[in-house]
Amino acid sequence: MTTNVDPEKTAKDSPIEIHLAAGAADRGASQQASGAQPGATSSEPSLGPPIFRLQDMGVWYGKHHAVRGVTMDVPRNAITALIGPSGCGKSTALRCLNRMNDLIPGARVEGRVLFGDEDLLSSDVDPVDLRGRIGMVFQKPNPFPKSIKDNLEFGMKVNGIKPTAERVEQALVDAALWDEVKDRLKAEAFSLSGGQQQRLCIARAIAVEPEVILMDEPCSALDPIATLAIEDLMKNLAERYTLVVVTHNMQQAARISDQVAFMTVEGTAEGDRTGVLAEVGTARQIFSAPKDPRTEAYITGRVG
Amino acid sequence: MSTLETPAPPPQPPVASTVRPLAKKRARPSEQLFKWLVVGLTAITMAMLIWLLTSVLIRGAGSVSWAFLTDKPSSNPAKAGFNSALRGSIVLMMVTIFFAWPIGVAAALYLEKFAAQSATLTERRLRERLATGRVTGPGAAWTRIRLWWLRIRPRVVHLVDVNISNLAAVPSIIYGLLGLAIFVGVMGISKSLLAGGLTLAVLILPIIIIAAREALRAVPMSIEQGAMALGATRWQAVRSQVFPAALPGILTGTILAMSRAIGETAPLIVVGGVVYSTAVPSLNPLEAGNEALLAMPLQIYFWTDQPQASFQAIAAAGIIVLLATLLVMNLVAIILRNRYSKRW
Repeated sequence: MTTNVDPEKTAKDSPIEIHLAAGAADRGASQQASGAQPGATSSEPSLGPPIFRLQDMGVWYGKHHAVRGVTMDVPRNAITALIGPSGCGKSTALRCLNRMNDLIPGARVEGRVLFGDEDLLSSDVDPVDLRGRIGMVFQKPNPFPKSIKDNLEFGMKVNGIKPTAERVEQALVDAALWDEVKDRLKAEAFSLSGGQQQRLCIARAIAVEPEVILMDEPCSALDPIATLAIEDLMKNLAERYTLVVVTHNMQQAARISDQVAFMTVEGTAEGDRTGVLAEVGTARQIFSAPKDPRTEAYITGRVG
Repeated sequence: MSTLETPAPPPQPPVASTVRPLAKKRARPSEQLFKWLVVGLTAITMAMLIWLLTSVLIRGAGSVSWAFLTDKPSSNPAKAGFNSALRGSIVLMMVTIFFAWPIGVAAALYLEKFAAQSATLTERRLRERLATGRVTGPGAAWTRIRLWWLRIRPRVVHLVDVNISNLAAVPSIIYGLLGLAIFVGVMGISKSLLAGGLTLAVLILPIIIIAAREALRAVPMSIEQGAMALGATRWQAVRSQVFPAALPGILTGTILAMSRAIGETAPLIVVGGVVYSTAVPSLNPLEAGNEALLAMPLQIYFWTDQPQASFQAIAAAGIIVLLATLLVMNLVAIILRNRYSKRW
């Protein structure tokens, strides 16, 4: 994962213009300085210790092998972006991390996903408890058809957290929504705009004090202004949480992420189409010096 | 292409010569024919309905009065009132809803939210448990039964599905026979409001189940997934988010099912017969087992069966009261639907 790339050189033949988040680089640098990854030798900002280790993870939907052989680490307190063309299994792969695939009839996950030292796919792990620790934000904002306050309190109640006014406020502040809704906490969540609803969903996820937040194309239903607000929010959240974000927007991945995993589709001998992990690396490396020709083809816009 | 000295281009030809002239409005006889056919058929339906309503109103309006609603039945048509029938119908509805609603909604919740859920992991866990050999004797047998159930569950659910849809279409008199055989025959309940209410409960059970399932299905999966992604169990997600969101729809369906039940005559005739009674049923539903089976449609049926013309008039008055009740119930259902229905 550690690559020695000369930034001067790569900037010249860089296929797309890169806007790497300054914050992302800073976080990486501080982790390196604290000796989190002693092996890092380049000027490249390195990534922190992993919170997830995916080992040969795959997903079957009945007889369809949707995703196969994903092996990668997800660094703690950083943003990992999953990019790739439609149908490459990004969302499917993401849903393995909080066992949401369990809810899909006929879905079966193979391989191992170590969370800390334990395999969270193991059949004796309680998926309900796990989902309280690994939150999720969906593609389309899905607030509950209740008040803003109720939306936040539900998650706390099911996780045994006392739903106090302070906690509600804190979650809304963290999700950069407090100033807009502080006078109408009893208002229907549906009365908010799309971008506000999505921030409410993020607040709802934060309110249960998770360790990781998974986001499945959280901005794809939003306009550019709301997208920017969510992206700023994600960068702030990465200081305290680990974020794994699925996006099909490469500019977004370049703007926010520390690590990028590129997935693509491969045909199999049986005529099936399977999602595979083509390449994983730091955002700078993937966007400036992709090693896999498929990654390069995708990020230069020749395919996808 | 040409030199700069070329003279001004030739004048443009008039527009009309380059565009085909617009067609003039023309008659389309088949279109007209179809329109009038539809209008005519609608008019026939409306005319029949209006004729029915006006004839009932003309005959019965004079007899509808406060006294008519509060008086006991009597063999004298001038003194006969609708009070017993009204009370009977109210108690019937209480009994019906008390039994049909919880059972119907529970069945809908199970079929819609639990029976269809993924069993892949449960199956894997049970298989692993058997494979380790730690469970023995009755424990192992129970595990095997659960595995067997998970395997046949989709087929059982499908069978139940098909049967519920069919039951909703079974003629109501069949339910009357069923009620007579089971509630009166086997369970030994007297031919009372209780027996009648239970029969009507069975009659509207499939309607409630179908309506409740539709209401539950109308709540997007994203709500349930959102709740479960926060660490809620399926039951917590369904109870706190999906069910409240579906409740207006469930209640609308329930009221429509009740308005079906309140007008049912045939099953009540089969269960209790048409009896002449001057008793005034208590409005306490706990007494329903001891009260004679009286209801609005039964009383109307009884009166129309009498030879005297003055009984026909109070039968028409009874129909007006029944129709007014139905109208109010349907109105409540419409208000509920319009007011609380959510656009996702």
